[in-house]
Amino acid sequence: MDNEANISNLSDINIQLWQRFKAGDSAALGQLAHVHYRALYNYATKFSSDPDFIRDSIQELYLELWERREHLSETAFVKSYLLKALRHKLIKESIRLKRFQETGHEYFDMEQEDAPIESQIIADESSQSQSSHLQRIITLLSKRQQEIIYLRFYQNLDNEDIAHIMGLGRQSVSNLLHRTLKDIRQIWAPAEFMWALIVFTSLI
Amino acid sequence: MDYRRYSVDEFATDEMFQKWVMAPTPEITAFWLKWIEDHPEKSGEIGMARELLLTVSGMYNDDLSDEMLRHEIEEISRLAELQKHREKQGIYQLIQQPLWRVAAIFLLVSAIGLWLYNKEAGSGAPAHISAKSIPANAMIVKKNGTAHEMTVFLTDHSVATLSPGSTISYPETFAAGERKVTLTGEAFFDVAKNPESPFLVYTNETVTKVLGTSFRVKALDRENTVMVLVKTGRVSVYPKTEYESLQNKPDKKVSVIVLNPNQQAVFNRKDNKLLKGMVNNRQLLSELSVQKELVFDDKPVSQVFKILQEMYGIVIDFDQDMLANCSISAQFNDENLKQRLSAICQAIGAGYEMVNGKVVITSKGCN
Repeated sequence: MDNEANISNLSDINIQLWQRFKAGDSAALGQLAHVHYRALYNYATKFSSDPDFIRDSIQELYLELWERREHLSETAFVKSYLLKALRHKLIKESIRLKRFQETGHEYFDMEQEDAPIESQIIADESSQSQSSHLQRIITLLSKRQQEIIYLRFYQNLDNEDIAHIMGLGRQSVSNLLHRTLKDIRQIWAPAEFMWALIVFTSLI
Repeated sequence: MDYRRYSVDEFATDEMFQKWVMAPTPEITAFWLKWIEDHPEKSGEIGMARELLLTVSGMYNDDLSDEMLRHEIEEISRLAELQKHREKQGIYQLIQQPLWRVAAIFLLVSAIGLWLYNKEAGSGAPAHISAKSIPANAMIVKKNGTAHEMTVFLTDHSVATLSPGSTISYPETFAAGERKVTLTGEAFFDVAKNPESPFLVYTNETVTKVLGTSFRVKALDRENTVMVLVKTGRVSVYPKTEYESLQNKPDKKVSVIVLNPNQQAVFNRKDNKLLKGMVNNRQLLSELSVQKELVFDDKPVSQVFKILQEMYGIVIDFDQDMLANCSISAQFNDENLKQRLSAICQAIGAGYEMVNGKVVITSKGCN
Protein backbone atom coordinates (compact mmCIF):
# COMPACT_ATOMS: atom_id res chain seq x y z
CA MET A 1 0.00 0.00 0.00
CA ASP A 2 1.13 3.53 -0.60
CA ASN A 3 2.67 4.89 2.55
CA GLU A 4 1.59 8.41 1.72
CA ALA A 5 -1.73 7.82 3.37
CA ASN A 6 -1.93 11.31 4.71
CA ILE A 7 -2.01 13.20 1.50
CA SER A 8 -3.46 16.43 2.81
CA ASN A 9 -0.62 17.01 5.27
CA LEU A 10 1.96 16.12 2.69
CA SER A 11 0.64 18.45 0.03
CA ASP A 12 1.93 21.57 1.79
CA ILE A 13 5.39 20.09 1.90
CA ASN A 14 5.03 19.12 -1.73
CA ILE A 15 4.14 22.65 -2.78
CA GLN A 16 7.17 24.02 -0.98
CA LEU A 17 9.39 21.35 -2.46
CA TRP A 18 8.09 22.17 -5.92
CA GLN A 19 8.87 25.84 -5.46
CA ARG A 20 12.39 25.11 -4.29
CA PHE A 21 12.82 22.71 -7.20
CA LYS A 22 11.72 25.40 -9.65
CA ALA A 23 14.21 27.78 -8.10
CA GLY A 24 17.01 25.36 -8.96
CA ASP A 25 17.60 23.75 -5.57
CA SER A 26 19.05 20.35 -6.41
CA ALA A 27 18.44 19.06 -2.88
CA ALA A 28 14.74 19.65 -3.54
CA LEU A 29 15.01 17.54 -6.68
CA GLY A 30 16.52 14.74 -4.62
CA GLN A 31 13.66 14.98 -2.13
CA LEU A 32 11.07 15.04 -4.90
CA ALA A 33 12.62 11.89 -6.26
CA HIS A 34 12.65 10.38 -2.80
CA VAL A 35 8.98 11.14 -2.11
CA HIS A 36 7.55 9.99 -5.44
CA TYR A 37 9.94 7.43 -6.89
CA ARG A 38 8.18 4.38 -5.50
CA ALA A 39 4.77 5.49 -6.70
CA LEU A 40 6.14 6.28 -10.16
CA TYR A 41 7.99 3.00 -10.41
CA ASN A 42 4.98 1.02 -9.36
CA TYR A 43 2.74 2.83 -11.85
CA ALA A 44 5.26 2.23 -14.61
CA THR A 45 5.27 -1.52 -13.99
CA LYS A 46 1.66 -1.45 -15.18
CA PHE A 47 2.87 -0.33 -18.59
CA SER A 48 6.11 -2.26 -19.01
CA SER A 49 7.78 -5.34 -17.61
CA ASP A 50 11.29 -4.10 -18.33
CA PRO A 51 12.86 -2.64 -15.16
CA ASP A 52 15.69 -1.00 -17.08
CA PHE A 53 13.30 0.72 -19.42
CA ILE A 54 11.28 1.89 -16.41
CA ARG A 55 14.29 3.24 -14.55
CA ASP A 56 15.55 5.05 -17.64
CA SER A 57 12.12 6.56 -18.24
CA ILE A 58 11.77 7.85 -14.67
CA GLN A 59 15.29 9.21 -14.72
CA GLU A 60 14.61 10.99 -17.99
CA LEU A 61 11.37 12.35 -16.61
CA TYR A 62 13.08 13.97 -13.64
CA LEU A 63 15.94 15.33 -15.70
CA GLU A 64 13.63 16.78 -18.33
CA LEU A 65 11.62 18.52 -15.63
CA TRP A 66 14.84 19.76 -14.09
CA GLU A 67 15.95 21.20 -17.41
CA ARG A 68 12.63 22.97 -17.92
CA ARG A 69 12.19 23.88 -14.27
CA GLU A 70 12.00 27.62 -14.83
CA HIS A 71 9.15 27.20 -17.29
CA LEU A 72 7.06 24.84 -15.17
CA SER A 73 3.84 26.13 -13.70
CA GLU A 74 3.02 26.25 -10.02
CA THR A 75 1.15 23.17 -9.00
CA ALA A 76 -0.35 21.81 -5.85
CA PHE A 77 -0.75 18.38 -7.41
CA VAL A 78 2.84 17.32 -7.78
CA LYS A 79 2.15 13.62 -7.53
CA SER A 80 -0.51 13.52 -10.20
CA TYR A 81 1.57 15.88 -12.32
CA LEU A 82 4.47 13.41 -12.22
CA LEU A 83 2.27 10.36 -12.77
CA LYS A 84 0.61 12.01 -15.76
CA ALA A 85 3.94 12.98 -17.30
CA LEU A 86 5.30 9.48 -16.79
CA ARG A 87 2.18 7.86 -18.21
CA HIS A 88 2.46 10.02 -21.30
CA LYS A 89 6.13 9.20 -21.66
CA LEU A 90 5.68 5.45 -21.26
CA ILE A 91 2.85 5.24 -23.74
CA LYS A 92 4.66 7.40 -26.29
CA GLU A 93 7.83 5.36 -25.91
CA SER A 94 6.16 1.98 -26.05
CA ILE A 95 4.24 2.92 -29.19
CA ARG A 96 7.57 3.82 -30.72
CA LEU A 97 8.96 0.43 -29.70
CA LYS A 98 5.77 -1.55 -30.13
CA ARG A 99 6.65 -3.37 -33.28
CA PHE A 100 9.66 -4.88 -31.54
CA GLN A 101 7.85 -5.96 -28.44
CA GLU A 102 6.72 -9.43 -27.74
CA THR A 103 3.04 -9.42 -26.98
CA GLY A 104 1.40 -11.59 -24.38
CA HIS A 105 1.35 -9.15 -21.49
CA GLU A 106 -1.63 -7.05 -20.70
CA TYR A 107 -1.01 -3.51 -19.62
CA PHE A 108 -3.12 -0.46 -18.94
CA ASP A 109 -2.29 1.12 -22.27
CA MET A 110 -3.35 -1.80 -24.38
CA GLU A 111 -6.60 -1.45 -26.21
CA GLN A 112 -9.27 -3.90 -25.38
CA GLU A 113 -12.92 -4.10 -26.10
CA ASP A 114 -15.22 -3.49 -23.19
CA ALA A 115 -16.85 -6.88 -23.51
CA PRO A 116 -19.60 -7.52 -20.98
CA ILE A 117 -17.90 -8.69 -17.85
CA GLU A 118 -20.33 -11.54 -17.23
CA SER A 119 -19.32 -13.30 -20.43
CA GLN A 120 -15.70 -13.02 -19.45
CA ILE A 121 -16.45 -14.40 -16.03
CA ILE A 122 -17.92 -17.46 -17.68
CA ALA A 123 -14.88 -17.76 -19.90
CA ASP A 124 -12.70 -17.51 -16.85
CA GLU A 125 -14.66 -20.04 -14.84
CA SER A 126 -12.70 -22.96 -16.27
CA SER A 127 -9.27 -21.52 -15.52
CA GLN A 128 -8.97 -21.94 -11.79
CA SER A 129 -6.30 -19.66 -10.40
CA GLN A 130 -4.69 -19.32 -7.00
CA SER A 131 -5.64 -15.67 -6.67
CA SER A 132 -8.60 -14.53 -4.68
CA HIS A 133 -12.05 -14.21 -6.15
CA LEU A 134 -11.85 -10.41 -6.08
CA GLN A 135 -8.49 -10.36 -7.80
CA ARG A 136 -9.95 -12.45 -10.62
CA ILE A 137 -12.84 -10.05 -10.91
CA ILE A 138 -10.49 -7.06 -11.13
CA THR A 139 -8.35 -8.63 -13.83
CA LEU A 140 -11.48 -9.17 -15.89
CA LEU A 141 -12.40 -5.49 -15.84
CA SER A 142 -11.55 -3.30 -18.82
CA LYS A 143 -8.08 -1.74 -18.78
CA ARG A 144 -9.52 1.66 -18.03
CA GLN A 145 -11.49 0.29 -15.12
CA GLN A 146 -8.44 -1.49 -13.77
CA GLU A 147 -6.39 1.67 -14.01
CA ILE A 148 -9.02 3.65 -12.17
CA ILE A 149 -9.18 1.06 -9.39
CA TYR A 150 -5.40 1.13 -9.20
CA LEU A 151 -5.09 4.91 -9.09
CA ARG A 152 -7.91 5.26 -6.59
CA PHE A 153 -7.10 2.48 -4.15
CA TYR A 154 -3.39 1.80 -4.63
CA GLN A 155 -2.08 5.29 -5.35
CA ASN A 156 -4.75 6.89 -3.17
CA LEU A 157 -5.64 9.66 -5.58
CA ASP A 158 -8.91 11.56 -5.69
CA ASN A 159 -11.15 11.82 -8.74
CA GLU A 160 -9.70 15.12 -9.82
CA ASP A 161 -6.16 13.75 -9.85
CA ILE A 162 -7.28 10.64 -11.70
CA ALA A 163 -9.07 12.76 -14.30
CA HIS A 164 -5.91 14.77 -14.77
CA ILE A 165 -3.69 11.71 -15.16
CA MET A 166 -5.92 9.74 -17.48
CA GLY A 167 -6.96 12.75 -19.52
CA LEU A 168 -10.64 12.34 -18.71
CA GLY A 169 -13.25 14.74 -17.38
CA ARG A 170 -13.83 14.72 -13.64
CA GLN A 171 -17.42 13.58 -14.14
CA SER A 172 -16.37 10.70 -16.40
CA VAL A 173 -13.97 9.49 -13.74
CA SER A 174 -16.69 9.68 -11.14
CA ASN A 175 -19.11 7.78 -13.40
CA LEU A 176 -16.55 5.18 -14.39
CA LEU A 177 -15.53 4.57 -10.80
CA HIS A 178 -19.15 4.26 -9.77
CA ARG A 179 -19.88 1.85 -12.59
CA THR A 180 -16.76 -0.19 -11.82
CA LEU A 181 -17.58 -0.60 -8.16
CA LYS A 182 -21.12 -1.54 -9.13
CA ASP A 183 -19.78 -4.14 -11.56
CA ILE A 184 -17.57 -5.60 -8.90
CA ARG A 185 -20.32 -5.64 -6.34
CA GLN A 186 -22.77 -7.35 -8.67
CA ILE A 187 -20.50 -10.25 -9.37
CA TRP A 188 -19.52 -10.37 -5.80
CA ALA A 189 -23.05 -10.07 -4.42
CA PRO A 190 -23.73 -13.73 -3.67
CA ALA A 191 -20.91 -13.71 -1.18
CA GLU A 192 -21.85 -10.45 0.45
CA PHE A 193 -23.91 -11.90 3.25
CA MET A 194 -20.80 -13.63 4.47
CA TRP A 195 -18.92 -10.44 5.14
CA ALA A 196 -20.32 -9.90 8.57
CA LEU A 197 -19.20 -13.38 9.48
CA ILE A 198 -15.74 -13.04 8.01
CA VAL A 199 -15.08 -9.64 9.52
CA PHE A 200 -16.02 -10.83 12.96
CA THR A 201 -14.41 -14.22 13.01
CA SER A 202 -11.12 -13.14 11.53
CA LEU A 203 -10.58 -10.17 13.79
CA ILE A 204 -11.80 -11.01 17.21
CA MET B 1 -17.14 12.21 10.24
CA ASP B 2 -20.29 10.17 9.81
CA TYR B 3 -19.27 6.66 8.78
CA ARG B 4 -22.92 5.60 8.71
CA ARG B 5 -23.30 7.26 5.29
CA TYR B 6 -20.02 5.99 3.85
CA SER B 7 -19.88 4.03 0.61
CA VAL B 8 -17.33 1.32 -0.21
CA ASP B 9 -15.28 3.89 -2.08
CA GLU B 10 -15.28 6.28 0.84
CA PHE B 11 -14.34 3.63 3.36
CA ALA B 12 -11.53 2.33 1.19
CA THR B 13 -9.99 5.78 0.78
CA ASP B 14 -10.52 6.87 4.38
CA GLU B 15 -7.26 7.33 6.22
CA MET B 16 -8.35 5.74 9.46
CA PHE B 17 -9.98 2.83 7.68
CA GLN B 18 -6.83 2.23 5.65
CA LYS B 19 -4.75 2.25 8.77
CA TRP B 20 -6.94 -0.43 10.28
CA VAL B 21 -6.61 -2.63 7.18
CA MET B 22 -2.99 -2.08 6.31
CA ALA B 23 -1.18 -1.22 9.56
CA PRO B 24 -3.51 -1.68 12.51
CA THR B 25 -2.82 -0.64 16.07
CA PRO B 26 -4.82 -2.15 18.94
CA GLU B 27 -6.76 1.10 19.42
CA ILE B 28 -7.77 1.38 15.79
CA THR B 29 -8.79 -2.26 15.62
CA ALA B 30 -10.85 -1.85 18.78
CA PHE B 31 -12.52 1.24 17.35
CA TRP B 32 -13.60 -0.48 14.13
CA LEU B 33 -14.76 -3.68 15.75
CA LYS B 34 -16.92 -1.64 18.11
CA TRP B 35 -18.21 0.43 15.20
CA ILE B 36 -19.17 -2.66 13.21
CA GLU B 37 -20.92 -4.10 16.21
CA ASP B 38 -22.95 -0.92 16.52
CA HIS B 39 -23.69 -0.73 12.79
CA PRO B 40 -24.11 -4.28 11.51
CA GLU B 41 -26.00 -2.96 8.47
CA LYS B 42 -22.69 -1.55 7.15
CA SER B 43 -20.73 -4.79 7.40
CA GLY B 44 -21.25 -5.47 3.67
CA GLU B 45 -19.60 -2.17 2.67
CA ILE B 46 -16.87 -2.60 5.23
CA GLY B 47 -16.07 -6.13 4.17
CA MET B 48 -15.87 -5.14 0.54
CA ALA B 49 -13.74 -2.06 1.19
CA ARG B 50 -11.41 -4.12 3.33
CA GLU B 51 -11.05 -6.87 0.76
CA LEU B 52 -10.60 -4.30 -2.00
CA LEU B 53 -7.68 -2.64 -0.21
CA LEU B 54 -5.99 -5.92 0.61
CA THR B 55 -6.42 -7.32 -2.88
CA VAL B 56 -5.29 -4.18 -4.66
CA SER B 57 -2.20 -3.75 -2.50
CA GLY B 58 -1.37 -7.43 -3.00
CA MET B 59 -1.87 -7.62 -6.73
CA TYR B 60 -0.08 -4.39 -7.66
CA ASN B 61 3.13 -4.89 -5.74
CA ASP B 62 6.44 -4.36 -7.47
CA ASP B 63 9.98 -5.62 -6.88
CA LEU B 64 11.81 -2.32 -6.36
CA SER B 65 14.35 -2.88 -3.61
CA ASP B 66 15.41 -0.17 -1.15
CA GLU B 67 18.92 -0.42 -2.47
CA MET B 68 17.85 0.10 -6.05
CA LEU B 69 15.65 3.01 -4.98
CA ARG B 70 18.53 4.71 -3.21
CA HIS B 71 20.81 4.14 -6.17
CA GLU B 72 18.34 5.59 -8.66
CA ILE B 73 17.73 8.69 -6.54
CA GLU B 74 21.46 9.27 -6.17
CA GLU B 75 21.87 8.87 -9.90
CA ILE B 76 19.13 11.41 -10.64
CA SER B 77 20.69 13.91 -8.22
CA ARG B 78 24.14 13.39 -9.70
CA LEU B 79 22.97 13.88 -13.29
CA ALA B 80 20.92 16.94 -12.31
CA GLU B 81 23.93 18.47 -10.59
CA LEU B 82 25.96 17.81 -13.73
CA GLN B 83 23.30 19.43 -15.88
CA LYS B 84 23.17 22.48 -13.63
CA HIS B 85 26.90 22.83 -13.73
CA ARG B 86 26.85 22.76 -17.49
CA GLU B 87 24.09 25.38 -17.67
CA LYS B 88 25.99 27.76 -15.45
CA GLN B 89 29.27 27.68 -17.25
CA GLY B 90 29.46 28.43 -20.91
CA ILE B 91 32.37 27.05 -22.88
CA TYR B 92 34.15 30.38 -22.66
CA GLN B 93 34.07 30.41 -18.88
CA LEU B 94 35.31 26.84 -18.84
CA ILE B 95 38.43 27.80 -20.75
CA GLN B 96 39.08 30.58 -18.25
CA GLN B 97 39.54 28.06 -15.49
CA PRO B 98 43.15 26.93 -14.95
CA LEU B 99 42.30 23.27 -14.64
CA TRP B 100 40.47 23.26 -17.93
CA ARG B 101 43.26 25.16 -19.59
CA VAL B 102 45.64 22.41 -18.61
CA ALA B 103 43.27 19.82 -19.99
CA ALA B 104 42.96 21.73 -23.24
CA ILE B 105 46.71 22.01 -23.62
CA PHE B 106 47.13 18.33 -22.89
CA LEU B 107 44.57 17.53 -25.54
CA LEU B 108 46.39 19.66 -28.06
CA VAL B 109 49.73 18.09 -27.24
CA SER B 110 48.37 14.58 -27.56
CA ALA B 111 46.69 15.52 -30.85
CA ILE B 112 50.01 16.73 -32.23
CA GLY B 113 51.66 13.62 -30.89
CA LEU B 114 49.22 11.40 -32.68
CA TRP B 115 49.63 13.39 -35.86
CA LEU B 116 53.40 13.01 -35.69
CA TYR B 117 53.04 9.34 -34.95
CA ASN B 118 50.74 8.84 -37.89
CA LYS B 119 53.06 10.78 -40.17
CA GLU B 120 56.01 8.70 -39.14
CA ALA B 121 54.10 5.47 -39.53
CA GLY B 122 53.62 6.27 -43.17
CA SER B 123 50.16 6.52 -44.65
CA GLY B 124 48.38 7.07 -41.34
CA ALA B 125 46.31 4.76 -39.20
CA PRO B 126 46.36 0.96 -39.65
CA ALA B 127 44.62 -0.02 -42.84
CA HIS B 128 41.77 -1.95 -41.26
CA ILE B 129 40.45 1.08 -39.39
CA SER B 130 38.04 2.85 -41.65
CA ALA B 131 39.15 6.41 -41.24
CA LYS B 132 36.09 7.94 -42.80
CA SER B 133 33.60 6.49 -40.34
CA ILE B 134 34.91 8.81 -37.61
CA PRO B 135 36.11 12.37 -38.00
CA ALA B 136 39.83 12.32 -37.43
CA ASN B 137 40.22 14.53 -34.36
CA ALA B 138 42.75 12.91 -32.05
CA MET B 139 41.68 9.34 -32.62
CA ILE B 140 43.07 6.73 -30.33
CA VAL B 141 43.62 3.32 -31.86
CA LYS B 142 44.21 0.32 -29.60
CA LYS B 143 45.09 -3.01 -31.05
CA ASN B 144 45.36 -6.01 -28.81
CA GLY B 145 48.46 -7.78 -30.05
CA THR B 146 48.74 -9.93 -26.92
CA ALA B 147 47.47 -13.44 -26.43
CA HIS B 148 45.06 -12.44 -23.65
CA GLU B 149 42.30 -9.89 -23.17
CA MET B 150 43.12 -6.20 -22.88
CA THR B 151 41.25 -3.70 -20.75
CA VAL B 152 40.81 -0.27 -22.33
CA PHE B 153 39.52 2.71 -20.35
CA LEU B 154 37.57 5.11 -22.51
CA THR B 155 37.48 8.78 -21.63
CA ASP B 156 33.80 8.73 -20.65
CA HIS B 157 34.46 6.19 -17.87
CA SER B 158 33.29 3.27 -19.96
CA VAL B 159 35.41 0.14 -20.06
CA ALA B 160 36.07 -2.00 -23.13
CA THR B 161 37.60 -5.46 -22.81
CA LEU B 162 39.27 -6.26 -26.08
CA SER B 163 39.81 -9.84 -27.28
CA PRO B 164 43.19 -10.82 -28.74
CA GLY B 165 43.70 -9.60 -32.30
CA SER B 166 40.88 -7.04 -32.05
CA THR B 167 41.15 -3.31 -32.61
CA ILE B 168 39.13 -0.44 -31.21
CA SER B 169 39.35 3.22 -32.13
CA TYR B 170 37.72 6.17 -30.40
CA PRO B 171 38.29 9.90 -30.12
CA GLU B 172 40.34 11.32 -27.27
CA THR B 173 37.29 13.36 -26.32
CA PHE B 174 33.86 12.26 -27.39
CA ALA B 175 31.86 14.78 -29.37
CA ALA B 176 28.85 16.28 -27.60
CA GLY B 177 25.69 14.25 -28.01
CA GLU B 178 27.23 10.94 -29.04
CA ARG B 179 30.03 8.57 -28.10
CA LYS B 180 31.19 6.73 -31.17
CA VAL B 181 33.71 3.87 -31.20
CA THR B 182 34.71 1.60 -34.07
CA LEU B 183 35.44 -2.05 -33.48
CA THR B 184 37.13 -4.69 -35.56
CA GLY B 185 36.98 -8.06 -33.84
CA GLU B 186 35.42 -8.71 -30.46
CA ALA B 187 34.96 -6.72 -27.26
CA PHE B 188 32.86 -6.55 -24.13
CA PHE B 189 31.60 -3.08 -23.21
CA ASP B 190 30.63 -1.76 -19.80
CA VAL B 191 29.18 1.62 -20.72
CA ALA B 192 28.95 4.54 -18.28
CA LYS B 193 25.46 5.92 -18.15
CA ASN B 194 24.78 9.19 -19.90
CA PRO B 195 21.24 9.64 -21.22
CA GLU B 196 22.20 12.72 -23.22
CA SER B 197 24.92 10.99 -25.15
CA PRO B 198 24.24 7.57 -26.64
CA PHE B 199 27.15 5.16 -26.97
CA LEU B 200 27.56 3.77 -30.50
CA VAL B 201 29.64 0.79 -31.51
CA TYR B 202 30.33 0.64 -35.23
CA THR B 203 31.49 -2.49 -36.98
CA ASN B 204 31.72 -2.80 -40.73
CA GLU B 205 28.11 -3.93 -40.95
CA THR B 206 26.28 -2.97 -37.77
CA VAL B 207 25.70 -0.10 -35.40
CA THR B 208 24.85 -0.86 -31.77
CA LYS B 209 23.32 1.95 -29.76
CA VAL B 210 22.99 2.16 -25.97
CA LEU B 211 22.63 4.68 -23.19
CA GLY B 212 24.42 2.80 -20.42
CA THR B 213 24.70 -0.94 -20.06
CA SER B 214 26.99 -3.89 -20.61
CA PHE B 215 27.15 -6.09 -23.67
CA ARG B 216 29.48 -7.88 -26.09
CA VAL B 217 30.00 -7.26 -29.79
CA LYS B 218 31.58 -10.04 -31.80
CA ALA B 219 32.53 -9.03 -35.34
CA LEU B 220 35.33 -11.36 -36.35
CA ASP B 221 36.45 -11.13 -39.95
CA ARG B 222 36.74 -14.88 -40.27
CA GLU B 223 33.13 -15.46 -39.23
CA ASN B 224 29.99 -15.12 -41.27
CA THR B 225 28.09 -13.25 -38.61
CA VAL B 226 28.25 -10.25 -36.32
CA MET B 227 26.85 -10.90 -32.87
CA VAL B 228 25.68 -8.52 -30.16
CA LEU B 229 24.93 -10.03 -26.74
CA VAL B 230 23.39 -8.05 -23.89
CA LYS B 231 24.17 -8.56 -20.23
CA THR B 232 22.32 -5.61 -18.66
CA GLY B 233 20.20 -2.74 -19.90
CA ARG B 234 18.66 -2.15 -23.27
CA VAL B 235 20.46 -2.06 -26.58
CA SER B 236 19.41 -1.27 -30.15
CA VAL B 237 21.18 -2.93 -33.07
CA TYR B 238 20.95 -1.60 -36.62
CA PRO B 239 22.45 -2.75 -39.90
CA LYS B 240 24.98 -0.01 -40.58
CA THR B 241 23.45 1.06 -43.87
CA GLU B 242 20.07 1.46 -42.20
CA TYR B 243 21.49 3.45 -39.31
CA GLU B 244 23.21 5.84 -41.64
CA SER B 245 20.10 6.42 -43.69
CA LEU B 246 18.38 7.25 -40.40
CA GLN B 247 20.79 10.14 -39.91
CA ASN B 248 19.59 11.80 -43.09
CA LYS B 249 15.92 11.04 -42.66
CA PRO B 250 15.07 10.69 -38.97
CA ASP B 251 11.47 9.69 -39.72
CA LYS B 252 12.40 6.80 -41.96
CA LYS B 253 11.40 3.37 -40.78
CA VAL B 254 14.49 1.24 -40.53
CA SER B 255 15.04 -2.29 -39.38
CA VAL B 256 16.32 -2.36 -35.85
CA ILE B 257 16.37 -4.93 -33.10
CA VAL B 258 15.89 -3.95 -29.48
CA LEU B 259 17.62 -6.30 -27.09
CA ASN B 260 16.93 -6.87 -23.41
CA PRO B 261 19.27 -8.66 -21.00
CA ASN B 262 20.25 -12.19 -22.04
CA GLN B 263 19.15 -11.59 -25.60
CA GLN B 264 21.34 -11.53 -28.66
CA ALA B 265 21.20 -10.23 -32.21
CA VAL B 266 22.94 -12.04 -35.01
CA PHE B 267 23.69 -10.18 -38.22
CA ASN B 268 24.26 -12.47 -41.18
CA ARG B 269 26.84 -11.03 -43.54
CA LYS B 270 25.63 -13.12 -46.47
CA ASP B 271 22.02 -12.03 -46.62
CA ASN B 272 22.36 -8.74 -44.70
CA LYS B 273 19.76 -9.75 -42.11
CA LEU B 274 19.42 -9.25 -38.37
CA LEU B 275 17.90 -11.96 -36.19
CA LYS B 276 17.00 -11.88 -32.51
CA GLY B 277 17.35 -14.73 -30.05
CA MET B 278 18.31 -15.76 -26.54
CA VAL B 279 21.97 -15.93 -25.53
CA ASN B 280 23.12 -19.56 -25.70
CA ASN B 281 26.65 -19.23 -24.44
CA ARG B 282 26.41 -17.41 -21.12
CA GLN B 283 30.17 -17.25 -20.88
CA LEU B 284 30.07 -14.54 -23.53
CA LEU B 285 28.17 -12.33 -21.10
CA SER B 286 31.14 -11.80 -18.85
CA GLU B 287 33.87 -9.29 -19.32
CA LEU B 288 36.72 -11.78 -19.29
CA SER B 289 36.56 -15.04 -21.18
CA VAL B 290 37.75 -16.82 -18.07
CA GLN B 291 35.75 -15.24 -15.29
CA LYS B 292 37.14 -16.76 -12.15
CA GLU B 293 35.38 -16.56 -8.85
CA LEU B 294 37.38 -14.44 -6.45
CA VAL B 295 37.19 -14.88 -2.70
CA PHE B 296 39.01 -12.50 -0.39
CA ASP B 297 39.02 -13.26 3.29
CA ASP B 298 40.36 -10.34 5.32
CA LYS B 299 42.91 -9.69 2.61
CA PRO B 300 45.07 -6.54 2.48
CA VAL B 301 43.62 -4.26 -0.19
CA SER B 302 47.00 -3.68 -1.80
CA GLN B 303 47.17 -7.42 -2.54
CA VAL B 304 43.63 -7.38 -3.90
CA PHE B 305 44.56 -4.57 -6.27
CA LYS B 306 47.60 -6.51 -7.43
CA ILE B 307 45.44 -9.52 -8.25
CA LEU B 308 43.05 -7.32 -10.24
CA GLN B 309 45.96 -5.68 -12.08
CA GLU B 310 47.13 -9.03 -13.25
CA MET B 311 43.72 -10.40 -14.06
CA TYR B 312 42.67 -7.44 -16.22
CA GLY B 313 46.12 -6.41 -17.44
CA ILE B 314 45.68 -2.89 -16.10
CA VAL B 315 47.60 -0.45 -13.92
CA ILE B 316 46.07 0.52 -10.59
CA ASP B 317 47.73 3.51 -8.94
CA PHE B 318 47.52 3.55 -5.17
CA ASP B 319 49.49 4.70 -2.16
CA GLN B 320 50.92 1.54 -0.63
CA ASP B 321 51.61 3.15 2.76
CA MET B 322 48.24 4.84 2.97
CA LEU B 323 46.43 1.54 2.37
CA ALA B 324 48.66 -0.42 4.73
CA ASN B 325 45.86 -0.91 7.28
CA CYS B 326 43.06 -1.57 4.79
CA SER B 327 41.81 -5.08 4.24
CA ILE B 328 38.56 -6.52 2.90
CA SER B 329 36.49 -9.67 2.84
CA ALA B 330 34.59 -10.09 -0.37
CA GLN B 331 33.38 -12.63 -2.87
CA PHE B 332 33.11 -11.82 -6.56
CA ASN B 333 31.40 -13.98 -9.15
CA ASP B 334 29.66 -12.26 -11.97
CA GLU B 335 30.72 -8.66 -11.35
CA ASN B 336 32.65 -6.72 -13.92
CA LEU B 337 35.72 -4.59 -13.25
CA LYS B 338 33.90 -1.36 -12.44
CA GLN B 339 31.55 -3.11 -10.05
CA ARG B 340 34.46 -4.79 -8.32
CA LEU B 341 36.39 -1.56 -7.99
CA SER B 342 33.45 0.33 -6.57
CA ALA B 343 32.64 -2.46 -4.13
CA ILE B 344 36.22 -2.52 -2.83
CA CYS B 345 36.48 1.26 -2.65
CA GLN B 346 33.17 1.54 -0.88
CA ALA B 347 34.29 -1.01 1.70
CA ILE B 348 37.44 0.93 2.59
CA GLY B 349 35.97 4.41 2.17
CA ALA B 350 38.09 5.20 -0.86
CA GLY B 351 37.31 6.48 -4.34
CA TYR B 352 38.58 5.62 -7.79
CA GLU B 353 38.99 7.37 -11.09
CA MET B 354 40.03 6.24 -14.51
CA VAL B 355 42.67 8.64 -15.75
CA ASN B 356 44.96 8.25 -18.75
CA GLY B 357 44.28 4.57 -19.11
CA LYS B 358 44.98 3.88 -15.45
CA VAL B 359 42.85 3.37 -12.39
CA VAL B 360 43.77 5.87 -9.67
CA ILE B 361 42.71 5.12 -6.10
CA THR B 362 42.21 8.02 -3.70
CA SER B 363 42.11 7.09 -0.04
CA LYS B 364 42.70 8.63 3.34
CA GLY B 365 43.68 5.28 4.75
CA CYS B 366 41.95 2.96 7.20
CA ASN B 367 42.14 2.70 10.97
